[in-house]
Amino acid sequence: MIEVRNLTYSYGKKEILHNISFTVAKGAFVAIMGSNGCGKTTLLRCISRLLTPQSGQVLIGDTPASDYSVRQLAQQIAMVQQHPHTDIEFSAFETVLMGRNPYQRHLQNESQKDWDIVEQCMRQTNTWHLRLSLPSQMSGGELQRVMIARALAQQTPILLLDEPTSNLDIAHQFEIMELLRDINQHEHKTILIVVHDLNLALRYCPDALLLHNHGLLFQGHTDEALNSERIATVFGVKASIQDGYIRFK
Amino acid sequence: MKKQRNIWIVSLLLLLVVLVAMVLCTGVGVVHFDRDSLLHSPIFWDLRLPRIILSVLVGAVLSVCGGVYQSVFRNPLTDPYVLGISSGASLGAAIAILLGWESYLWGVGGMALCTALLTILLIFKISSLGNRMHTTTLLLTGVCLTFLITAVISLLMALRQDKMESIIFWTMGSFASASWFDVWILIPVAVVGIFVVLYYRKDLNLLLAGSETAQSLGVEVEKVRRRLLFFTTLMVAFAVSTCGVIGFVGLVVPHCVRLVCGSDNRRIIPYSIFVGALFLLLCDTMARTLIPPNELPVGSITSLIGAPMFIYLLYKSKRKI
Repeated sequence: MIEVRNLTYSYGKKEILHNISFTVAKGAFVAIMGSNGCGKTTLLRCISRLLTPQSGQVLIGDTPASDYSVRQLAQQIAMVQQHPHTDIEFSAFETVLMGRNPYQRHLQNESQKDWDIVEQCMRQTNTWHLRLSLPSQMSGGELQRVMIARALAQQTPILLLDEPTSNLDIAHQFEIMELLRDINQHEHKTILIVVHDLNLALRYCPDALLLHNHGLLFQGHTDEALNSERIATVFGVKASIQDGYIRFK
Repeated sequence: MKKQRNIWIVSLLLLLVVLVAMVLCTGVGVVHFDRDSLLHSPIFWDLRLPRIILSVLVGAVLSVCGGVYQSVFRNPLTDPYVLGISSGASLGAAIAILLGWESYLWGVGGMALCTALLTILLIFKISSLGNRMHTTTLLLTGVCLTFLITAVISLLMALRQDKMESIIFWTMGSFASASWFDVWILIPVAVVGIFVVLYYRKDLNLLLAGSETAQSLGVEVEKVRRRLLFFTTLMVAFAVSTCGVIGFVGLVVPHCVRLVCGSDNRRIIPYSIFVGALFLLLCDTMARTLIPPNELPVGSITSLIGAPMFIYLLYKSKRKI
């Protein structure tokens, strides 16, 4: 579904990602992990073409991402940003309705179908009761669910999320991750998610990409990826794994 | 869908209000007429009517541009005047006058467009850091450019004292010398410009949500932004070339509309057209009737309303800056 070939990206002279290649199969649920500043967010942004890599290629399906128009790409990839703007006065419903933009023409109004899809996505993410709320009236968890609803309304086969659970308490972290697992299992969407909490990744994401030193250290099953040796290499922390749970020493 | 029909109904009602106000305003003035003599008077046909039509056009144009800038720069405090774009246009107009291009159809407007585009380019270069535009930098850039441009215009006036009066006119803003020539120049620009803005009104909402969000929702951000800024600057330049710099219209009108009907640009833009037209029409009518037989500069009336509003908005957004 997603193939990254020899991707290199640098901000000015500083190289963030160096020669990264991997393939993500359709319907995979992949956690992207690594220490701060190792290029996780940059990788997501390169895949979604918010950034253009200096060299290398990203293929969506079998087509290079650069061959898609912006609108076509928005029908393939939906992205949930790390920090949604909260200073604008759009209600949750209007926000989710924006997710239908890739399917609308300029002077065209929303169709009944758009409205139905928005309602369905909001019910799925348990945000329908918030439809008239403004961002300033919602909690962090609620706002994050609205953003996920907007991404769902885009009806894309691929969903990218950049630390959707940061700033949330543990109950809301579980809630978001369970929602994503649900979407992955029932709608077979391919999901790439940047996660900081290793235990959260271990618990919910079957597959993992481990980034280290601007390169790809490991790709495979999450329980194989997170052994004490790799955790020590990547994060410089001693840890042991017991019963599918990482204990830090 | 019901919402869309409501937009049409409200727009038509507003249009009706504007038309009624225009008719009423033709009857008001220093020289009084009864109805029959009014229609046969050259004062009506050659002075009042073009003046009223021009004020309506300029009000609509400036308000729409203000609404666009507020979304594109993601900042409620911007309008063509605050950003220095109107001043930029007035510099071009002044240069064109000094060169004696007033009689050419697009002479003054074209030159105003050149300098206005240059101004907006400078604003972009100076105030964008990475992907973000900082409110403070943006506003300060606008203020500084206005200072600079005013200085250059004063210099030009000192050099060519014989043209001083007509140059002062551009920096003050007035409809006193409105003519049919101005109206015919501004109409096509306003129609094309407003159509382009209406075409992209949905994208304006997405731009308001942030440029990265807009792109991942299928908006070609750079292209849309460039087009919108070009056409709004075109409108501002030609508005300024007909009546000079009139401040704060683009700030007051979209903001008042927003207070009533929310952030959705699909409502703000069309409503701003009519509310802006009405606002400037009333301001200009006040300017020419409050202290007869003299005239107030219309720019001072809009500033009297706009500047306190600007301070209020600044105060309100203090925490965010």
